[in-house]
Amino acid sequence: MLKPEKMIKVAVVGAGDKLSTVSETLYRMNLLHIETPQETDYFKIGTPMDKAGHFSRSLLQLRSYISHLKLDPTKLMVKRKYKRREIEEKLSMKLSEYQEKIGNRIEELKRINDSLKSIEAELSAMEPLKVLEIPPNLLKGYKSLRCFVGFVKADPSKDIEKATLDFDLIIKKFGEQYVMALFVRAEHGDEVYRILQGYGYKEIAVPDVDYESRTSELLKKKEELFEKKKKIEVEIEELKLKEAELILAIEEYLSSEVEKAELPLKTLTSKHTFVVVGYVPAKNFEEFKKELESQGMVVEQLKFEDHELPPTKLNNPGFTKNFEVLSKTYAIPKYKEIDPTILMAIFFPLFFGLMLGDMGYGLLITIVSLYLKTIFKTEGWQKLLNIGLACGISSIIFGFIYGEFFGPFRIPGTENPNEVHFVGDLIAGIYGFNHGHPLFDRVEEFGVKALLFIVLLIGMFKMVWGFSMGFYNVYVEHGLKEALLEKGCWIFGVLGLVCLIFGFSYNLGIFTSPPPNGFGEIFPKNLFVYGNTVSEARAVPLPIPGLVDGWQAGFNYFYLASLPLILLWLVIFLKAEIPKMGIFGAIMAVELLTWFGQIISYARLLAIGLSSVYIAFVVNYLSLKIGLEPGMAILPLAIVIMLIGHFGNFLLGILDPGLQSLRLHYVEFFTKFFEGGGREYSPFGRVKKFVEEEGGE
Amino acid sequence: MVEAMISDEAFIKGCAAIGAGLAVGLAGIGAGAGESGIGAAAVGAIAEDRGFLGLGLLFTVIPETIVIFGLVISFILMFAYG
Repeated sequence: MLKPEKMIKVAVVGAGDKLSTVSETLYRMNLLHIETPQETDYFKIGTPMDKAGHFSRSLLQLRSYISHLKLDPTKLMVKRKYKRREIEEKLSMKLSEYQEKIGNRIEELKRINDSLKSIEAELSAMEPLKVLEIPPNLLKGYKSLRCFVGFVKADPSKDIEKATLDFDLIIKKFGEQYVMALFVRAEHGDEVYRILQGYGYKEIAVPDVDYESRTSELLKKKEELFEKKKKIEVEIEELKLKEAELILAIEEYLSSEVEKAELPLKTLTSKHTFVVVGYVPAKNFEEFKKELESQGMVVEQLKFEDHELPPTKLNNPGFTKNFEVLSKTYAIPKYKEIDPTILMAIFFPLFFGLMLGDMGYGLLITIVSLYLKTIFKTEGWQKLLNIGLACGISSIIFGFIYGEFFGPFRIPGTENPNEVHFVGDLIAGIYGFNHGHPLFDRVEEFGVKALLFIVLLIGMFKMVWGFSMGFYNVYVEHGLKEALLEKGCWIFGVLGLVCLIFGFSYNLGIFTSPPPNGFGEIFPKNLFVYGNTVSEARAVPLPIPGLVDGWQAGFNYFYLASLPLILLWLVIFLKAEIPKMGIFGAIMAVELLTWFGQIISYARLLAIGLSSVYIAFVVNYLSLKIGLEPGMAILPLAIVIMLIGHFGNFLLGILDPGLQSLRLHYVEFFTKFFEGGGREYSPFGRVKKFVEEEGGE
Repeated sequence: MVEAMISDEAFIKGCAAIGAGLAVGLAGIGAGAGESGIGAAAVGAIAEDRGFLGLGLLFTVIPETIVIFGLVISFILMFAYG
């Protein structure tokens, strides 16, 4: 479970003419992860089978239709599957039908769009001419006159006057610039043209016909084209509804045929034989071997060498499979590595619940997840929503433990339960609520302290655990010495830190004084090297000789225990780093502080939760004050505030615990042991969605 | 005189409370400054490719640890002197 599935490297060898049968069999079994081979002098990479070219051309065409129709196979629920033989019979007929009904229509649509574009261009070109209010026949066709029609940036008459006084200018404002018609004698034409260029003159082509009639003609044509376009689109849409599944089934059929026909590209062939090398899951090996050998092939088990990296097939049972989405986002584990998915399946919802911990919000998350599960049926969504479901249930459980339902029922410093929660009075009246429930109240003083310590304990535990798994991973790959130098030393270092934290907590009295200052007397009160007491030690919780006077008072056995551990870590660490980095490697020892920071980082399990509790409390408090006597007694406003407030807090309550829980895994846990960089197992063949294999084929 | 009005114990309590507030507040500003750069880059990446959303959000919350440090310090201050 914690490891990817075991793989066996195999070579399938057979006579060259059997390659197409083998291709069929391998594709159907969907088990062999084929390795891309390397050519040798004798063995060459094969060439695709003859049918490949024909099939891939059809496939390309069909895919272009599919992309035009915007068909998405992952979003379509399968109503019926098509038999293979059925598709083979219909194939050529259907392909030519699609060519005619879809391909030609798409072409037609393209033509219509092109004409629409040119009409638009012509219409917009006539706009400025309309502004001039001069009929087109007056704008051209002169012998002794030259006529300029176009855009200019400013009125050019002043400059033209310098060239000739004999001109006629009609100029109108058009948007940011001017549109003008300028008439001059033909002999001044070139000179005036140069002047106009200084004004950014841009010519407009004058059409032959009258604007009004041309415009109405164009508009009419445009409308006709629009109608035609709409009609074609409706026809295509009808076809899409009717044929979608068949189209996708044919696509599936064609692409599987192409893949089969291209198997030789992953095969080494000699004149009369072929070899396919790949990996098969160990549990399927016997079945795989039997099937192929019955067809006259030879299946040979190969040993893999050290540098080879078999593909990773994650092996997680039942519910935990959903969490592969989360662990794969970080990395795909290498074949020999520990796969942390199952740990994530346990700790992710646990941390989420620990943070959110509210029955109301948990219930909402559960209901929303269940509802969305009925709408989004694709695999990815279902997995994600299953995670949501787990988180929701975990929140309900922790909500019960903390005694919260859309906010806490009690808050320290507020006596009246009716001010804290909208059912405060009701709850306060229940006998059980003040006698043993909430099982753990995280808002009161002891609760905060205890939870802080508990989450740090979780942090320390996971830190050591992470390094232990890292130790195992390195041990498997490089042996004991490397494992000890690379990961083992950190186990000692972190254990030293744990002792330091315990020593500090002990001096604060967490293990000796009764609540609310501690957990009661867990350890004896006299664990001090110099025979002091806890009350004396409180003054020097962190006894650093030379820095604090009277440090002896705070020096307890936990601190004493941490000394050899940290010394051991330092020795192993320096032994590992100095050969690699020289004397500067010693500076890297500062890294121990990072792990200290990461232990403290687990305090977010408390902090995120508390902030959400207090937001919920503030929302409840405000709306109760606004809504009821003796407050403002504006009930509708109170309800609005309550709904908006809780909705916002609910969204935050999904986002933040989700992200922080993920982060605690990725940053604080995975970095200790999880390297990733594996290749995903993707066997030759595919899971059929629309096509059905017939029995005995 | 002011000295006469405030007892030593109250003075320490007050200072601890101010310190706790500063610890959370300043750490918050620090984390915010850290997140601003990552957030901007993440939004850019998400605009390019929607699939980056989850990872982008995750990167954005990474500097939040700093606030947690501040918070823990403030808790310790309040527990010890509050």
